[in-house]
Amino acid sequence: MTVLSSAWTTALLIALPGLPAAVVFVLAVLRWATGRRAEEKVVAILFGVAFAGVTLASAVLAYQLFRTGSLALEADLGHWFAVGHYEFPLRLRGDRLSLPFALFTSILVGVIATFSRKYLHREDGFHRFYLLLGLFGAGVELVVLAGSLDLVFFGWEIVGLSSVLLIAFFHDRPKPVEHALRTFVTYRACDVGLLAAIVWMHASTGGSSLTLADPSLRWPGLVVPSEARDALVVAFLLLWASIGKSAQLPLGGWLPRAMEGPTPSSAIFYGAISVHLGPYLLLRAAPVLEAAPIAAWAVVAVGLATALHATVVGRVQSDIKSALAYASMTQIGLIFVEIGLGLHLLALAHIVGHASIRSLQILRSPSLLHHHQHLEQAMGEQLPRTGGHLERLIPARLQPWLYRNALERGHVDALVIDWLVEPFLRSFRALDRWESHFEEWVGGEATPARSTIGLDPFEPRR
Amino acid sequence: MTDLAPLLVAAIWIAFACGPLLPANFAAARKRATLVCFVALLATGLAWLAFGRDDSAGGVLSIGGWHLRVSNQGFAGIAPMVISAIGVVAMAMSDSLSHSRLTLRRMLALLAVAMGFVAVREPAMLALLWTLSPWIVWTELRERFGRRGVAQLFAVYHVASVVLFLAAIALGQLGWTVLSPLLFLAAIGLREAVLPGHSWFPRFVEMAPLGLVVAFIAPQLGVVVQVEVLGDALPADLAWFIPYVGGATALIAAALGLVQTSARRSLAYLLMSQTAIVSLGLDGSSEIARVGALLLWQVLALATTGFAMTLSVLEARRGALSLANHSGSFARTPRMAAGFMLMGLASVGFPTTLGFIAEDLLAQGAMETHPISAFVLIGATALNGMTVMRAFFRLFSGHRIHTGETDLTLRESCALTLLLLALVLGGLAPNWLISQEFGAPDPHSNRSVADSTAVAIDADAPAP
Repeated sequence: MTVLSSAWTTALLIALPGLPAAVVFVLAVLRWATGRRAEEKVVAILFGVAFAGVTLASAVLAYQLFRTGSLALEADLGHWFAVGHYEFPLRLRGDRLSLPFALFTSILVGVIATFSRKYLHREDGFHRFYLLLGLFGAGVELVVLAGSLDLVFFGWEIVGLSSVLLIAFFHDRPKPVEHALRTFVTYRACDVGLLAAIVWMHASTGGSSLTLADPSLRWPGLVVPSEARDALVVAFLLLWASIGKSAQLPLGGWLPRAMEGPTPSSAIFYGAISVHLGPYLLLRAAPVLEAAPIAAWAVVAVGLATALHATVVGRVQSDIKSALAYASMTQIGLIFVEIGLGLHLLALAHIVGHASIRSLQILRSPSLLHHHQHLEQAMGEQLPRTGGHLERLIPARLQPWLYRNALERGHVDALVIDWLVEPFLRSFRALDRWESHFEEWVGGEATPARSTIGLDPFEPRR
Repeated sequence: MTDLAPLLVAAIWIAFACGPLLPANFAAARKRATLVCFVALLATGLAWLAFGRDDSAGGVLSIGGWHLRVSNQGFAGIAPMVISAIGVVAMAMSDSLSHSRLTLRRMLALLAVAMGFVAVREPAMLALLWTLSPWIVWTELRERFGRRGVAQLFAVYHVASVVLFLAAIALGQLGWTVLSPLLFLAAIGLREAVLPGHSWFPRFVEMAPLGLVVAFIAPQLGVVVQVEVLGDALPADLAWFIPYVGGATALIAAALGLVQTSARRSLAYLLMSQTAIVSLGLDGSSEIARVGALLLWQVLALATTGFAMTLSVLEARRGALSLANHSGSFARTPRMAAGFMLMGLASVGFPTTLGFIAEDLLAQGAMETHPISAFVLIGATALNGMTVMRAFFRLFSGHRIHTGETDLTLRESCALTLLLLALVLGGLAPNWLISQEFGAPDPHSNRSVADSTAVAIDADAPAP
């Protein structure tokens, strides 16, 4: 079992994030320089070709990995920058975890790009959508192929920004924009965990590269810090980062709101790829989780709590996209449980299966009623009710209480806002008011502003 | 040669600021001022590329019988280009509603002072320039708003800063090696709006023309003093508190920026927080943090200039900007919106820009010596990112009705493109930039960056 590296594998690994990034760069520069939009057809073809290329490259790499039986394919590009003993490594790595993810991502993004050509035809933000989709594709490929956490963070941020800008796609309505901001705030608060974990890893192990310390592992993972305390801290920081990206309790409130974006982007981001990056990160951190059992049990607890919460809340949602958002949360919660219990291969299979079915469901959601009617016509009768098992399992006295709580989304969002966000904002608003009073006290009463026009000694006098 | 270029540029800018060289018409004056700054950018850039980084300890410029100690290392190497770029963007994006021809003159004068400040190492000259810079700003504030209000607030803090600076230089000459650096730090704290000496700053940014704000703030002369003048003169047992004070300022200002309803006040706290982050790497205990801090200085100078001036051109089109409600349409002004967001994200270290590298180095370096300040940096940067995106969404979205403002003009677009190019190209090839500026790209090198940048004030040191 070796790590393979050749000019071909290097070129192909670079092409995975490089192709969509290059298309985004060229189109963005052209748009900025000329102010003109390219033809819809040209944009769609460019992205179609780029993601077809990425799919092909991923497939070739996956085949090579399978054929040679090697542990990983690597592209070592040295370091991006270095000062003293610190360096930012530029290393891409295709292995049994990253290549299925990379292949799966390119196929799904390609499908969404094709689907959106008609779905968003003549939409105002057509080009913006494709640029952000391309940026997202490049970001995800970078996250999954990164050979170190430093590079993961780079792609992680790009994915977050493209996701937020797509939620605010219909930017002339206040609600999508508010929801995009809420998502950004959640992402940003949790990205603190990832960046802090990277810094902590560098301090405790001298780097954040992925290695195969334990031959029993199926893919390279993070180096385990020698001190148990360090492993525990890193594991909890990575769990915090994953909670935000994957909409787990108590920060999952952004996910149903994020469905305000266009349906194709909801499918790829919140049904398929973006929400699964949290589990991906935890799979990479598996050795650290094994070394910190408390953190592993915390992963299980978070996943279990989210799954229970989301399955109950999802059942009372009155719109299909919110129901699907909670269904996604439920499944990702279960994937967290699997990772916490060490069932890594099951988690990987679960991710691929869930992402496929969920993106299909979200893509079909705008024509749900139509499909429903077709199905009933074909069957010649009404479709049977589903989900009745909960009614049988839960005592009748508890059901109204559970229903009310589910309608309020378990009060989780309200708790986070009332107990965390609002006190924080209120205290700083108060501080700002004191600050303003102090400024007035020191500066005294201000006089109305007047122009300085006419005061210039070299200005011609009228 | 690189010693002379900034002084020459400063002299030319002073000539334009004080003489009748700017045309009477505002638009023509702005055009000429932009051109002058652009020529300065080319000249300083060519001088830097041609002569590169000089390892000598500085030089002496003799004019008649008068000798002036000058430096071309560290800051003095790249800073003239950065200041010229600030000038190009600030001039090109100044609007005629909030800026007058006299304001342009003062902006040129402020940039000339900054240019001189990074080039000379003569204590008396530094003291003069440190005094001159706030005085120029104060005259504008006094003429616009009268003696009371913002002008008085500004004067209270900056008189104190000047007095402390003069006292620090005087005590330094007398050989007071502990008190002098402390007074320097206090002067810098007031000038850079570090807690608790910050109260002049939000009101100043709220009311002054943003071009003037940028010309005064973006060169961050306090950081220049800390790196170039204080250098290693600050005893280690006194330097430890710098990251903690800086960290507290960064975090509190970042949180205050998030709750503002005025776009200008929000900008003020963002600037305050990001400037304070620079100080986390300047206590001299970590080489990595120091390089990160100096890179961040450049990033902030460029990115916050672009961010503030985009806000200024938007304000000229739309009037006072509130963040309380959504008030814009991205589709009508796409270039302005994109420029605003990219500049804001670059200033808070978003990937693909030089800011990402600077903040990464700073966080890694700070972790080695002050782990708490590393986490404070990460938290403050996260909050600042939220402030940028909140401002972007509130100013450029959520509104169907078009208020009639136009997108960026060609002049404004070119200025922003210049900054974007600098930030993105710097982000793509950081090793080259680091090696040119600090000469320490080799991961196995033990050479201290501090050795190559700091020029301490020492009364007994003979002139080279």
